Amino acid sequence: MPAASNGDVRRFPEPAVRLVAIAAGGSLGTLARYGVERAIVPSPLGFPWATFAVNVTGSLLVALVVTLVVERWPPTRYVRPFAAIGFCGGFTTFSTLMVELVQQGQHGRGGAAAVYLTASLVVGLAAAALGMALARGRLLPGAGAGPLPDPDDVDPLEASAHHRPDRPVGPSPIDAGRDAGGARP
Amino acid sequence: MIIGGLMMAGGAGAVLRYLIDHLVQRMTGSDVPVGIMVVNLTGSLVLGFLTGSALHHGVSPLWLTVIGTGLIGSYTTFSSFMFDTVGLAEHDQWAWSVANLVANLVLGVGAAALGLALGSLT
Repeated sequence: MPAASNGDVRRFPEPAVRLVAIAAGGSLGTLARYGVERAIVPSPLGFPWATFAVNVTGSLLVALVVTLVVERWPPTRYVRPFAAIGFCGGFTTFSTLMVELVQQGQHGRGGAAAVYLTASLVVGLAAAALGMALARGRLLPGAGAGPLPDPDDVDPLEASAHHRPDRPVGPSPIDAGRDAGGARP
Repeated sequence: MIIGGLMMAGGAGAVLRYLIDHLVQRMTGSDVPVGIMVVNLTGSLVLGFLTGSALHHGVSPLWLTVIGTGLIGSYTTFSSFMFDTVGLAEHDQWAWSVANLVANLVLGVGAAALGLALGSLT
């Protein structure tokens, strides 16, 4: 294990700290999800509002945070492991949604299951797209769109912290318009 | 007691997801988020099994909360699934985006149903 050099405050190897950040975020996200499940009274119509609520808000939050980290903020090392992989990952849940769908189907409420599934997907995808748009400052034309960092400035550790290191993280085609408009420095 | 158990299980679930996701992505070398799919499908199978066992054979509510809500709930993730699906579409990989959506859902429902059936039997 390489020790920290030049009086760095980091006394532990970076990957270990990243796992701790993920665990801490996951703990808090799980606790928050449990809190929402306890706080939301089960609907008389049987719609699982608690799972729906955490999944939609978590999708918005993860898109907001990851887009900010990758495209807009100065390099950060532990924001993504803690907030995105840890908190949002632990806050949202796929398995509960699946089991709820199957149970609705088994109780002869196939229609309710179809509504629940469709609502989760449509609103979840829209929330993720909204999170990205918010992070890019696209919702208020001319406002909030500060300088984008040079892609070379992005901490490679942070940029590869997600599960698809080979995924293109460069500007999307939409960004070409921004470049032409001269919003970049 | 339950809060401490939930927090430990939730932290462990998130770390487990990260490690398995990375392992699978490295093994497949894929552009498509197969790692999160593997995580979500295995988690749905296990949560189905736990839920089936609890319904038919009685599992202590504490156990179900800590392992089901805490560990498996945190292990699987909906937010990455949504973000990756939108990300693929944004990079004009529409076919992969739709495939990711459909595969997760169809196989996820199948895995949960299988888990529930197995949990009811044993």
